[in-house]
Amino acid sequence: MGLQGVSPAERVLRKLLAPLCVLSGAVVVLGFFFPELVGETISGRIWLVISLVFFGSGLAYLAVLPAESDESMSELDPEFLLRVRRLGLTGTVRGFLSRQDPVTFGVPVAAFALFFLGQLLVPSGTIATVGATQRAVTTYGGWLFVAVMLLAVVFSLYLLVGPWGTVKLGGPDAEPAYTYPVYFTMFFTAGIAAGIVFWGPAEALFHYETPPPYFDAEPQSEAAAGAALTYALFHWGFWAWSAYIAVGVPIAYYVYQRGAPLRVSTILTPFLGVENLDSVWCRIVDLLAIFATIGGIATSIALVGEQFLTGIQFQWDVAFGTVGSVLFVAGLTFVFVVSAQSGVHRGIRRIAAVNLVLFGLFVVLFFAVAPRTVVVESSSRAIGSYAVNAVPMTLHLGNGLVADPWVADWTIWNWAWWFSWAPFAGLFLAALSRGRRIRTVVLTGFVATALATMVWFLLLGSTSLHLQQTSAVDVLAAIDAYGGAEAVAGFPVFEALAISQLFMFLFLALIVVFMATSADTSTLVVAVLATRREFAPTTGAIIFWGIFQGLVAISVLVTGSAEVLQAMAVLTGGPFALVVLIALVGLVGTFYRHERGRRSIVGTARVKLAREAEDDDRE
Amino acid sequence: MSDTPDSSEPALERLFYHSERIRLVYWDEFSGAKTAVLLTGFVAVLTFVTGLSNLSQPNVTYDGPLAAAIPVDPGFVQFTGVLIAFVLAGLVFGLQRRKRLAWYLTLAVLALVTLLALTTLQTTDVPLLLSILVTLPLLFTNRGAFDRRIELSSLQIASLSSIVGVVLYGTIGSYALQDQFSEIDTWSDSLYYVVVTIATVGYGDITPLTTGAKWFSVSVILFGTGAFTVAIGSLVVPAIEKRMAAAFGTMTLSELTLLDDHVLVLGYSDITESLLDELADQVDVVVVTLDADEASTLNDRDVNVLTDDPTHEETLSDAKIDDASGVVVATRDDANDVLAVLAARKSNPEVRIVAAANDRQHVDKFEEVGADEVISPMEIGGRLLGRSILEEASAESLFENLDEDSD
Repeated sequence: MGLQGVSPAERVLRKLLAPLCVLSGAVVVLGFFFPELVGETISGRIWLVISLVFFGSGLAYLAVLPAESDESMSELDPEFLLRVRRLGLTGTVRGFLSRQDPVTFGVPVAAFALFFLGQLLVPSGTIATVGATQRAVTTYGGWLFVAVMLLAVVFSLYLLVGPWGTVKLGGPDAEPAYTYPVYFTMFFTAGIAAGIVFWGPAEALFHYETPPPYFDAEPQSEAAAGAALTYALFHWGFWAWSAYIAVGVPIAYYVYQRGAPLRVSTILTPFLGVENLDSVWCRIVDLLAIFATIGGIATSIALVGEQFLTGIQFQWDVAFGTVGSVLFVAGLTFVFVVSAQSGVHRGIRRIAAVNLVLFGLFVVLFFAVAPRTVVVESSSRAIGSYAVNAVPMTLHLGNGLVADPWVADWTIWNWAWWFSWAPFAGLFLAALSRGRRIRTVVLTGFVATALATMVWFLLLGSTSLHLQQTSAVDVLAAIDAYGGAEAVAGFPVFEALAISQLFMFLFLALIVVFMATSADTSTLVVAVLATRREFAPTTGAIIFWGIFQGLVAISVLVTGSAEVLQAMAVLTGGPFALVVLIALVGLVGTFYRHERGRRSIVGTARVKLAREAEDDDRE
Repeated sequence: MSDTPDSSEPALERLFYHSERIRLVYWDEFSGAKTAVLLTGFVAVLTFVTGLSNLSQPNVTYDGPLAAAIPVDPGFVQFTGVLIAFVLAGLVFGLQRRKRLAWYLTLAVLALVTLLALTTLQTTDVPLLLSILVTLPLLFTNRGAFDRRIELSSLQIASLSSIVGVVLYGTIGSYALQDQFSEIDTWSDSLYYVVVTIATVGYGDITPLTTGAKWFSVSVILFGTGAFTVAIGSLVVPAIEKRMAAAFGTMTLSELTLLDDHVLVLGYSDITESLLDELADQVDVVVVTLDADEASTLNDRDVNVLTDDPTHEETLSDAKIDDASGVVVATRDDANDVLAVLAARKSNPEVRIVAAANDRQHVDKFEEVGADEVISPMEIGGRLLGRSILEEASAESLFENLDEDSD
């Protein structure tokens, strides 16, 4: 249906969305060009709603546009008409359930329902317990995250230069199904959510106010500024992305070289064999992946909804409250559900492209108006400091094997959060990687993505630090006034620069679109994991899981349990760190046994040089 | 999707792998000349809106990097934006007709818009600058598509150049004689005087004071209004004539006289479109049909159409069948086809006539009345269908086979 062509429902949707987008777009254009005129007639609140409607309906419309090739073949889909006639409601539900895997479908649905029931009945109790557990894990289990993260980095680097990077996924004749730009764009935008937008101007400022103990700098000093920028790079750079490689490459290898099914549990192949991937252990891993993904995405959506509106309230003094957040999340859910059900080659690809264009536009425009010399100088210093200190920073926990509070709250928490996102991002990376060499996969998922993220953090971080240091604007005071809300940080920074209005527009658009690109992919991945192994997820299943994630996010908002669910998602990062460890051991063993006789980059270079030397001798 | 379980690989295949390789942006679709024209139109609208936005602001500050470099009057910059938008909109029409001159002028105007935007550089100017940044490369890559020359008749050229000449003569002359006029002090004054005079508006705020100046003014009035009137006549009347002709789908006489070695297509039917596709790049084509609606749509697409009865010999001689290199007869009705073949053969005994028979039984009758070749589209279609199902080959490759067979 949706994956194959254009269903009748989509055609109706398109007819509804197009006028909605055009009308709201006209108002937005009017407001942008004639602020006085529109300001008199429309209140700030309505103005914001209309802008969001414009952007959301535009994205959704883009998603349901037919693909270049499949409009004609779906014009008449007799099978669809037959099915509508044949099945009643019970029939549809039965058909839907028969395709779902009873364990990976049933358990998460039941568990999340129970969780919110518990939230309603004993709210304070659960919050305290979960919070304490998470704290204990990040404090006393920190060494495990650090060890696995370091291992993942070493593994990624070795794949990059070592002999195993030459393995071509899917055999030597496999052709990549996606061109390189779309490959990079889809993975980058899926792997990182709105956090990059919020934390870009904010993260360095937080560390500037409370410097990391590793650098031992005075708060709000020149040294603290350097340390802050270095730590922002550290938390969002190569280390973080290596977690995705550590999950993605094993899955891709077993799927394309061994014919294993595309699921997270596939990383257990070397221990169980391809035939036994139905075992209990695999179910546990897949379940864990679903929990981590839904927990991670749903809390992100909920927090993004809150932060988005906090930023609006700060800048334009328009308060919305919980109802506003719920409506925002509902709208966002609509966009990413439409995108996910339209398929990888339609909605997910197009919205990812929009995302990358907006991202690039923001970076270029921002660089044009930012204090360039300061940005370049402090960035180069931070890069140097990052290169020298990255490994010691990783190993620094504070008190031997026990993490001190700062490290536990920031670094370890961050690693755990990235690990909890790893199953879905890794699976998606694997799904896109057929026909690519492992070296290309690592170059994309580890190097290119990390570089793009780091450029962003350097640009926004150094600018906001500079403005704070020169007392041009007191961003920290603004953040503190709003209870440490990171979303506030961007606005005073933009206000100090030229064309500030435009940056705020782009900033808010980026938040929405970055969240949508992660959520639509995660929806697809969860639908794959929850469907029986022999089926592909139907459009119905994808819509179900999308709405389910949206509902979890809304319940989180209503019960005020964002912190609890986030803590739980972080907790799933713990077992996943272990799974990653097992996966890496297994994959290295497999490579060692099956992929011998390949040459590393150094080896290839040496052979080439030797051959040239021979040629020279002959002449 | 069927409900029978199949192995997981094909299922996921459908989810993640499309039949073709997936690209981020399908450049071929978005990089044509059509997009370039559309984008230029978009820039024109944006220039207009941005200009209006600048106009509506009570006091515009000039933040741009060029603000210091260009010593201009603020008010001037404010209203030029809107004005340029009109010029650009006019140029879009030229681009749509693929005129070379419009392409050059568009580049110049876009450069001017960029300069203006860089002078003001409000937040509202950024979308305009960005869209120009996208439009310019597209215009450059598609410059080959805008290759049509502006075709002006000698009268049009003469009247245009005489207007330019009179304006120059009047402006320089009145400036030189400024002492003999009331209130001419600057070049702007004398240009203003000439335009007001030529357009026969004549406010009377500037008047000649001496006899010499009066004679000079009379010469400007005589030549100026004359050139002005002739220019309007020569430029506007053909345009109106063309509009009228387009409404009736008829070629103008002047267009018909230019035809040579063209192909006449008599009648309009279901196969005409494919026929035009095949012929369009190779030769000039004139479609002769009585169907006014079809004629009008064809004319909009720059296909030559003569709305008249293709079975009349006078019509065919109007369509210059004597100079035609070939005639295709394909109306919806075989009886009409026969009459058209007869008329064509009678008008020009040498010309090659190809006819399409709607009914295969009529093939020999066409040959009898003078058609050189008779093709039955239905029969060819049917045979292709048959071969396609037997050989499982695409229609395209069968088409090539068919060519070989007939050789």
